[in-house]
Amino acid sequence: MSTRNIQVTLKIDGKEIKTRAGEKLLWAALENGIYIPNLCAIKDKPEPNASCRLCWVEIEGEKKPVTSCTVEVRDGMVVNTKGKKALDLSRAGFELLMASHALDCAHCSANGDCELQKIAKALKCSLKPKNLRPLRRELPIDDSNSLFTLDPNKCVVCGRCIWECRKHGDKAVLGFAHRGFKRVVTTFGDEPIGKDRCLNCRECVEVCPTGALAFKEKAKLKS
Amino acid sequence: MFLDKSRQLRQNCSGQYTMSKVNSAANEKERKHIVKETETILKRFTRKKQYLIPILQGVQGKLGYLPRESMLKIADYLGIAAIDVYSVVTFYNQFRLNPPGKHSIRVCLGTACHMKGGYITLDAWKRRLKIDSGETTPDREFDLDIVACVGCCTMAPVTVVDEKPEGQVEPTRVDGLLLGFGYEEGKKEKEKSESK
Amino acid sequence: MKASELPAAAVFREIKERAESHVRELKQNKTYIMVGAATCGRAAGALDVLKAFREEIKKHNLDCPVIEVGCMGHCYAEPIVIIGKPGYPAICYGYVNPVIAERLVNEFILGENPCPEFVIGALEANDMLPSFQDFPRAEHEQKIVLKNCGHIDPADIEQYIAAGGYAGLAKILGMAPQNVIDEVKKSGLRGRGGAGFPTGIKWQYCRDAKRTPRYVICNADEGDPGAFVDRAILESDPHSVIEGIIIAGYGVGARYGYIYVRAEYPLAVARLETALKQAKKLNLTGSHVLGSDFSFDIQIFQGSGAFVCGEETALIASIEGNAGMPRYRPPYPAVQGLFGKPTVVNNVKTLAYVPRIINNGAEWFRGIGSRESPGTAVFALAGKIVNTGMVEVPMGTTLRQIIFNVGSGIPNKKSFKAVQIGGPSGGCLPEAALDLPVDFDSLQNAGAIMGSGGMVVCDEEDCMVEIARYFLEFTQRESCGKCTFCRLGTKQMLELLADFTQGKGKIEDIDLLEKLAGEIKAGSLCQLGRTAPNPILTTLRYFRQEYEEHITLGRCPALMCQDLIAYYILPDKCERSCDACVGECTVEAIYSHPKKRYKIIDQEKCVKCGTCLKACPPQYNAIVKLSPPSEVPEDNLKEKAQKSKP
Repeated sequence: MSTRNIQVTLKIDGKEIKTRAGEKLLWAALENGIYIPNLCAIKDKPEPNASCRLCWVEIEGEKKPVTSCTVEVRDGMVVNTKGKKALDLSRAGFELLMASHALDCAHCSANGDCELQKIAKALKCSLKPKNLRPLRRELPIDDSNSLFTLDPNKCVVCGRCIWECRKHGDKAVLGFAHRGFKRVVTTFGDEPIGKDRCLNCRECVEVCPTGALAFKEKAKLKS
Repeated sequence: MFLDKSRQLRQNCSGQYTMSKVNSAANEKERKHIVKETETILKRFTRKKQYLIPILQGVQGKLGYLPRESMLKIADYLGIAAIDVYSVVTFYNQFRLNPPGKHSIRVCLGTACHMKGGYITLDAWKRRLKIDSGETTPDREFDLDIVACVGCCTMAPVTVVDEKPEGQVEPTRVDGLLLGFGYEEGKKEKEKSESK
Repeated sequence: MKASELPAAAVFREIKERAESHVRELKQNKTYIMVGAATCGRAAGALDVLKAFREEIKKHNLDCPVIEVGCMGHCYAEPIVIIGKPGYPAICYGYVNPVIAERLVNEFILGENPCPEFVIGALEANDMLPSFQDFPRAEHEQKIVLKNCGHIDPADIEQYIAAGGYAGLAKILGMAPQNVIDEVKKSGLRGRGGAGFPTGIKWQYCRDAKRTPRYVICNADEGDPGAFVDRAILESDPHSVIEGIIIAGYGVGARYGYIYVRAEYPLAVARLETALKQAKKLNLTGSHVLGSDFSFDIQIFQGSGAFVCGEETALIASIEGNAGMPRYRPPYPAVQGLFGKPTVVNNVKTLAYVPRIINNGAEWFRGIGSRESPGTAVFALAGKIVNTGMVEVPMGTTLRQIIFNVGSGIPNKKSFKAVQIGGPSGGCLPEAALDLPVDFDSLQNAGAIMGSGGMVVCDEEDCMVEIARYFLEFTQRESCGKCTFCRLGTKQMLELLADFTQGKGKIEDIDLLEKLAGEIKAGSLCQLGRTAPNPILTTLRYFRQEYEEHITLGRCPALMCQDLIAYYILPDKCERSCDACVGECTVEAIYSHPKKRYKIIDQEKCVKCGTCLKACPPQYNAIVKLSPPSEVPEDNLKEKAQKSKP
């Protein structure tokens, strides 16, 4: 489209930024070194998932905070990623996720390279929410694949792995199943991923923001 | 091994995780029947993803549930991944993975029914049939489930018995309805449980 | 255009004449029987009544058609029968059973006794019997979308046409599509699915999005527990909805229409299938509708049971063969909807208004209701109210008028406590809100929403904490699980509420609940999540004290929460030789005091189903509910301890 070539200038946290028209605010910020917490955003996916609800920002002239992954940049836009209302909402979402996350950093292969740890730091909040009840699902860990394990208890259902797996078309193994609180990344019939059906492309593990999908090799190294 | 472990764990998790597992045909004869019925339904549709739900409805209408063989066949026909079929099947309330009972009991838990004691009625069914909602009695006579609202709010509390909405179903009427299916059945069950 | 204008009108005139003569033959100067056999009537035994009438008519070899009709809205008196006989006004009978049916045939149809003891009212004013116009509710009611319901056979398209149906379609085929949209815009019609978005503007967006093919979807995924108006309309007057869809299709320039209807409504699906076949046969749909240049086809899609599919983007995902997950809007479906094409999604009631607006004009419609919300409001009245059923009143009627004048108030001499409007997305309004005029905006300001029209009345025995928990349990169960706030937040809130209803929890938890409710409202992706906290926010706003009592005293003031009550038989009042409660108890938890013979409930066995309370004869009235359960006198409990000793 022709809009791709048009440049837009906007201000994020006081910093002037030039970017393509049609670009989503989140990516404009990230590409210019301004971090906004996010889990479900996928760069090459045309429609944002908008499901993790962490990338809240405040835009001058708008009453309520908005998710930056869904908003297109506009010329002259003034954005504040550190507004109280936005941060409060991001924190609220993050705390909900953490209350259902099997927190075990010490033994987790993602430790040190975990998106959740990064977000906690950015939002200046604890990995263990104080007031919420722990709502764990205690689902079984699938270690049937020779390369990696899937631990749904650490999963934040962002869908990044599924996006990668979908690239295999009708050979895709991973997908969402069940509804609501039971929603989970799984396989047909909740059966083991196993090495015979999975093509072992490893992409799902590479994109997992947490330790839900983890290479066995790496876990061994850690321990 | 994984499956056994997972089933066990799921049962331990406070009822929230009674995810029913996918059922396969018990024998070759059943498998042939499933494949034949599934193929008959598939013939009525062109190979487009948008027909997935009507196909699933058709197959379930014929077989009473969605066996593993059917789901795989449907995925293959539509040229989509099996997980995509599974994902739709587990999303909607209508689809079931386990064979139904001879009689279906659906307890309405709409607002009006709830306020007039629908939850008490559900308890009564559970007590009498000795199963939880979403389950089938071991003798495959009854399956019990809840339904969000059948729109007969003025007859609350409602139980839909074999597609027929019954109004004012209170615990004593639960016994009455079961009696209607043959007191003998009820007696047999009772005797069985007593002898245990 | 001109060439196609004339044929359509002429073709339709012929159809209409045929339909009118058919109906004349059926009803004029003739005795006829109409039996209300929508799902609600059937649950009350309407099919047996229908059978009884048919058998009786056959037995006497009478020339008297027995017509199956839909729901008149007087659901409290189901099964309902209307008998028309020359020389009498058409008379409506209630609570009819096969025995009464037989009597009506023998005494009224064969004889001249209209059996006034079974009459609810005559349909028109007369000097023989009281008529519906004499009822206090008549002053408030005004029927537009419910006009035909219960008065025509939904399986007979000619009865709909004779009642003025499809005239709107014939009319618009001679208009420019833009003029059709303008007419709907002028009428001020707002979407009846809940949010109240102006229908004409939605159509305009769709028409202006140039891409084709465009689609019209009728959203009949009525999943709100407690709402049944859409079902009743589809079962009683399906053609009015179909006509609305065709008109919408013509206006926006669509080629295909879908009706997304819940599979849990099998009768509605069957009625729609019949109706669509008939419409197609008369060329009211299909290619070159009534000989015009306009072609339009409608198909039914059966929803597989997911409340979230009432949300338009989820509904579209579902038709496309996916799990019904809402997506982020914009783009709105009117611009980018089904298969990526411009799509109008309208509710059943919204579409049912359309033919009437076209027939009577936008000005007529604007003249009804309030300025910002023209037209009528349709509610499904249920819960603790005398006249359960459907009501249609002009917007701006107060809640008090609806509940007390139309609905005849609260039964069993109980007092009004709250009214829940709008289902799981709506709210509970207290006594103080009763004088609120009902329209989209006033309800929203009070914390409720119009929703899809469920109105459930609560009396003093309904616990507000439990009601909030009930609705939240529903939304939590129906949450699609896509976004964090709805998936996990509703679960967190439900845990808190479940604790409250069990007398657990801390007083600070109320503040935590309120905070979470606010966050979920602000943070969720779709409307289901954003409105999920409404039942909590309104009950907290109007009934906070009840929450506190549960937590601090372990007491449920409404005596509803099962964990916080106990059933108790007052020894002084118990008749002792009567065994009614013992016999009725479903778990054999009641026994007699070994010496004094009064009855005692074994609290450990009791499942608190309340059967004994209903069984106890009213002259003794010996069984009471106590809260907290520790109110049961200790010696009563001790009796059991003694008894259980070997």
